[in-house]
Amino acid sequence: MRESLMGKYVGARVNRVEDKRLLAGAGRYIDDVSVPDMLHAAFLRSPYPHAEIGSIDLTAAQALPGVHLILTGEDLKSRTYPFFGTLNFPRFYQPTFWALAVDRVRHVGDPVAIVVADSRRLAEDACELIEVDYEPLPGIATVEQALDADRAVVWPKSKTNLHYQASERFGDVDAAFAAAERVIVETFDQHRHSNQPMEARGIVAEVDPSSGEMTIHASTQSAHMVKWCIALLTGRRPLRRVVRQMISQRDHTKAIFKGMADYLKATPAMVAALKEMAPVMLKQNVTNVERTKAMNGAFVGLMGRDPKTLPAALAGDVGGAFGAKTAVHREDVAVCAAALELGRSVKWIEDRNEHLTVGSQAREESVDLAVAVRHDGTILGMRARLTIDSGAYPGFPYGGAVIAARLARTMFPGPYRLPALEFHSRIITSNKATYLPYRGPWEIETFVRERMLDVVARQLGLSRAEIRRRNLIGDDELPATMVTGPALDVRMSARRVFEKAMDVTGADDWEKTRAEAFAAGRRIGMGFATYIEAAPGPPGYMDNVGPGFSAMVDREPINAVLEADGTVTLHTQQVTHGQSHETTLAQLAADQLGVPMEVIRISYGNTRTAPFGLVGTAGSRAATFASGAVLLATKGLRDRIVDLAADLLEAAPSDIVVEDGRIHVAGTPSIAVTLADVAHAAREKGDEARGAARGDEAIRVSELFDGGAGGWSGATHVCFVEIDLDTGLVKIPRYVVVEDCGEIINPAVVDGQIRGGVAQGIGAVLYEKSTYDDQGQFQAGTFMDYLIPTAMEIPDIEIHHVETPSDVFANYRGVGEGGAIGAPAALCNAIEDALSDLGVRITEQHLPPARILELAGVIPTLSPSR
Amino acid sequence: MTADRHPLSMTVNGNRIDLVVESRRTLAEILREDLGLTGTHLACEHGVCGACTVALDGKAVRSCLMLALQADGGAIETVESLCDDDGALGPLQQAMADSHSFQCAFCAPGFLMTAHCLLAEDRDIGPTRDEIREELSGNLCRCTGYQSIVDGVERAVTALVEARNA
Ligand code: FES
Ligand code: FES
Repeated sequence: MRESLMGKYVGARVNRVEDKRLLAGAGRYIDDVSVPDMLHAAFLRSPYPHAEIGSIDLTAAQALPGVHLILTGEDLKSRTYPFFGTLNFPRFYQPTFWALAVDRVRHVGDPVAIVVADSRRLAEDACELIEVDYEPLPGIATVEQALDADRAVVWPKSKTNLHYQASERFGDVDAAFAAAERVIVETFDQHRHSNQPMEARGIVAEVDPSSGEMTIHASTQSAHMVKWCIALLTGRRPLRRVVRQMISQRDHTKAIFKGMADYLKATPAMVAALKEMAPVMLKQNVTNVERTKAMNGAFVGLMGRDPKTLPAALAGDVGGAFGAKTAVHREDVAVCAAALELGRSVKWIEDRNEHLTVGSQAREESVDLAVAVRHDGTILGMRARLTIDSGAYPGFPYGGAVIAARLARTMFPGPYRLPALEFHSRIITSNKATYLPYRGPWEIETFVRERMLDVVARQLGLSRAEIRRRNLIGDDELPATMVTGPALDVRMSARRVFEKAMDVTGADDWEKTRAEAFAAGRRIGMGFATYIEAAPGPPGYMDNVGPGFSAMVDREPINAVLEADGTVTLHTQQVTHGQSHETTLAQLAADQLGVPMEVIRISYGNTRTAPFGLVGTAGSRAATFASGAVLLATKGLRDRIVDLAADLLEAAPSDIVVEDGRIHVAGTPSIAVTLADVAHAAREKGDEARGAARGDEAIRVSELFDGGAGGWSGATHVCFVEIDLDTGLVKIPRYVVVEDCGEIINPAVVDGQIRGGVAQGIGAVLYEKSTYDDQGQFQAGTFMDYLIPTAMEIPDIEIHHVETPSDVFANYRGVGEGGAIGAPAALCNAIEDALSDLGVRITEQHLPPARILELAGVIPTLSPSR
Repeated sequence: MTADRHPLSMTVNGNRIDLVVESRRTLAEILREDLGLTGTHLACEHGVCGACTVALDGKAVRSCLMLALQADGGAIETVESLCDDDGALGPLQQAMADSHSFQCAFCAPGFLMTAHCLLAEDRDIGPTRDEIREELSGNLCRCTGYQSIVDGVERAVTALVEARNA
């Protein structure tokens, strides 16, 4: 029911709770963490894209006063478990590797040694004293090089640089192409660029010297993920000790197995998924023995570990992430290994050069596309081949590239009628940094589809709006099913959103406007892009990524606690890093409970108190999942509060009203009790009233939300540009987003998320590129080479909302990623439009001024398009 | 690598500070590590992002590029000084909060100090929206797309101008 909407906070532009702390300069970001007796780490990194490591001479570095420990890859073999692939797909190779390079470096910045010293400065000084003998190998810097059989392979055990292949057919593709009146073919490229949160990575491994227990302070999107990944990969002991421990804690070991059995019994979807995957898993286990050994070693190590020695993880304020902090990084493992070795706390803060070079890179993809159409613009089918350059080392616990490939294939039809699709995916490995998820990791589907629709429209002589109108799925066709599987429910509003965007911008009259401007010597253009985003998608959506994924992630736990003092704490597994959850979740809870927002506290990021969940804040899921969980738990809490208050006020629970934190009988507001009174009563009454309350807590209600009906967000972006062919500069005088994310909890938060995403999309097209030369040497290691747009480059962004009324529970949907998904396509389409009289065809995404001038024929083409 | 150390005297947020510091250390390091003023953030340490902006004698400077010893004899203000005496947000901070200016807010201290110096400029009429954009273009924010930050500064300017003319 929609009772939350009746409240006073939900839907309002409530100021942010977190600003009281963050704008005072009192935030606690990772570099602000300081623990007693803490040492500092720095990494020695490879200057080569690809090289054999000969000898490493540490003598001089070790002799430097203030240096406590230096570890190399070899040293980690006895102290840690190697990173291994956790996913199971056919024709997929996942390499096994260590936190520090062993034998070979595979990209510029590959960590070779960790130095721990009294200060960061000393650790860096010591790095410079380490002598490494490298034997350079040819680098793999392009897809062509990767697939060239005469070139070196990045991972010799795989014998090829092609690490993933998949081919799927949905619908009758042959019939679609046989019936086609035209087949239009094009290839689109997207360049490697990067998340670049303003706070780079960092970690403080705090070790209690007396107990040896470790608390990991992390800048992460998921605290539990950090805890368990570090637990899995560190603390290596010889197998005999592991086994001895397992025997000595027999009951614990049994409990683990029983827990797994219970979970499977309660989750038939997972059993089915495991059955489906069994042949694939078996094959991988046999063909990739190295991985099998690594995986078994790490998991047996984890089971044979005294649970008291498991680390805890703590996330404080996180200075942005955009997907970069969904992973546990090699540096994290090296830092924890060093801290455990020393029995002392160690801090590592990444600098910008490191973050640009190795911290997070993404998006290097291309698609070959053929579209079967009728002359009237009706799309009959598509054939697509996606290629991703995933760099050298996959992310952990999962490689971002294969997830992006699976999602791009699932989302390829977008909100359009597409009866048939053939989709091939290839992932290659190269001598570049790790590919990680970046805001809307499957964005290539929108870029390619929306670019292609313009190409098709031009070739068929249709307007760009017309081709979309002919193929967009309208309200009258819903519910429907995408040919790739996901269900489109009646709230999927892409067609209405699109029409509103056309209305708001007068796009249908654009040709006239542009012709007049061209005649007056002004080169203007307009482009648009329409997409939907699974935020979180229909129930079971994640099963399109892999079998069992939904069962694993579609569970949002929450604990709602009435404290003894009458305040309310919500414990969530979310780790907010700019999304303002301390505000939005409190808005929901306050309205549901009938209390002022100040009464609510959102507690997150501490694995000692947060309920278990590995996802954290990612994938635009929180709006539905966390909000729904909050509504469920606070509803349960409210019922208990009302029951107790009814006793205190000697009335029937149905007559109780809670308003502004005062609880009274309807009609007699003067006789009221407070939440503190109720808390007191609960504690007096004991267990039955208190739920699962612990310690001083008065009442605790725990809930698990499965996402309910889920749903789609979506938008149409309309971008206007003006291009100066003297300089190649592209100005954006107007940018319009019309979007639908369901009911809005806080419009300022929603608008902020959209604008931030659009800014990143604009940056990607006009400024940002993680440039490598054709040997794999990295060339964008500072903010002077990697250009983040400033306030001068990003225009005001005009936003219009469409809300589709519904009685669906928790009808709030995500907007974290959409801005970045729509912007590259809309902007590139606008640029092509502005250059249309010159016959310019845009098939790439990076269009800095020099490239604009090349495309327009103002200067000769020097650079290849990548 | 023996450290050459020199005396340093400055005022920080109105307090007189006397230290002996290694000459290679930056002002940002001294503020964060020695004085515990962690509101000043480091996001690039090469002078581009502006996260480390503080006021030196009323002018915005990048504390990551400046050696601490260069601030000798100067008056430094950091983001911590913008709060009211009771620790509540000061007018500039409040205007930014009212405008939902920030998200992760890692960039916020730099923007706040840039805006603080801009607002302190003695002028009859406040800067226009375009001028504000230009003034803020030395600070990078990765989350917001800047519009909300410009809104916040504009709101603070309007309030200040109104107060001056009242
Ligand atoms: S940290 Fe000083 S300008 Fe970036
Ligand atoms: S709010 Fe995150 S960098 Fe500006």
